[in-house]
Amino acid sequence: MLTNKLVLLVEDDPADARLIQRAFDNAKLDIDLTRLTNGDDAVAYLGGKPPYDNRALYPIPAVLLLDIKLPRRSGLEVLSWLRNQHYALKRLPVVILTSSRHSIDVNRAYDLGVNSYLAKPESSADLMRLAETFHSYWMQLNENPDVQN
Amino acid sequence: MTNEVKTPGTILLVEDDPGDTALMRRGFEKAGVLNPIQHITHGDKALAYLAGVNEYADRTAYPLPVLILLDLKLPGMTGLEILRWVRTQRDLRRIPAVVLTMNEEPDTINAAYDAGANSYLLKPGDRKGIVEMINTIQQYWLRLNEPPQLVMRAQGQE
Repeated sequence: MLTNKLVLLVEDDPADARLIQRAFDNAKLDIDLTRLTNGDDAVAYLGGKPPYDNRALYPIPAVLLLDIKLPRRSGLEVLSWLRNQHYALKRLPVVILTSSRHSIDVNRAYDLGVNSYLAKPESSADLMRLAETFHSYWMQLNENPDVQN
Repeated sequence: MTNEVKTPGTILLVEDDPGDTALMRRGFEKAGVLNPIQHITHGDKALAYLAGVNEYADRTAYPLPVLILLDLKLPGMTGLEILRWVRTQRDLRRIPAVVLTMNEEPDTINAAYDAGANSYLLKPGDRKGIVEMINTIQQYWLRLNEPPQLVMRAQGQE
């Protein structure tokens, strides 16, 4: 089972981020959620570039939870960057969490190698259920790849 | 519109062990999964099914799956060979594929993700564990996940 409990959330909307954080909190899930607000920061964090160059402080997450519409670099650009890395990091499980259900976004995400695509639910009860199902699937059931070397 | 009521999509189960297959089928029943399950026991046949050739040429009888559950050790082509091939096919490359295996070697897990697996699950050894796993697969892949659009063939839609 997984020992890495970190989920890296990339979400620019403060209200959405708060709702997502609250859903994970309310479901009493054993995870750590770190939030970034734009695509460039996500790439810097994952690539271990300043100010995120200390892996003890900024460890590689178990799962990347990624919005699509982000300032500076979109979620799909972050995904594309990640899958084109030449080392183990490229395998990091990525789950898109977005309000877009447009098939053009969904298809593009799968073409770029997303592991899964989730649409943000409208109600907070549904968001809490999403948090629970996300947790039991990716943090408990799934065997994650080695992304460190 | 992704929530319209329609016939649930087909699940392609590629698994050669009869015992595991029986347990998984029971798991699908217990979880109330209504999706039709196409079960294939040979790697080469799984490829033929996905390609829609030979005995699987009729896509009405053998529809493209919405989810592939794939064992790795198979007679004929291995699960990893099938995955790598699927990810090169324009009509198939987006289909979510979940590896289901007893193999917990880190190298194999890494290779499966490199080959394009969406997820990698270890088969539980007992009946209860398998039923629970199928239940979670249903909740996650058949209910929560937004599926890709598969084929854009001219079939009079739009």
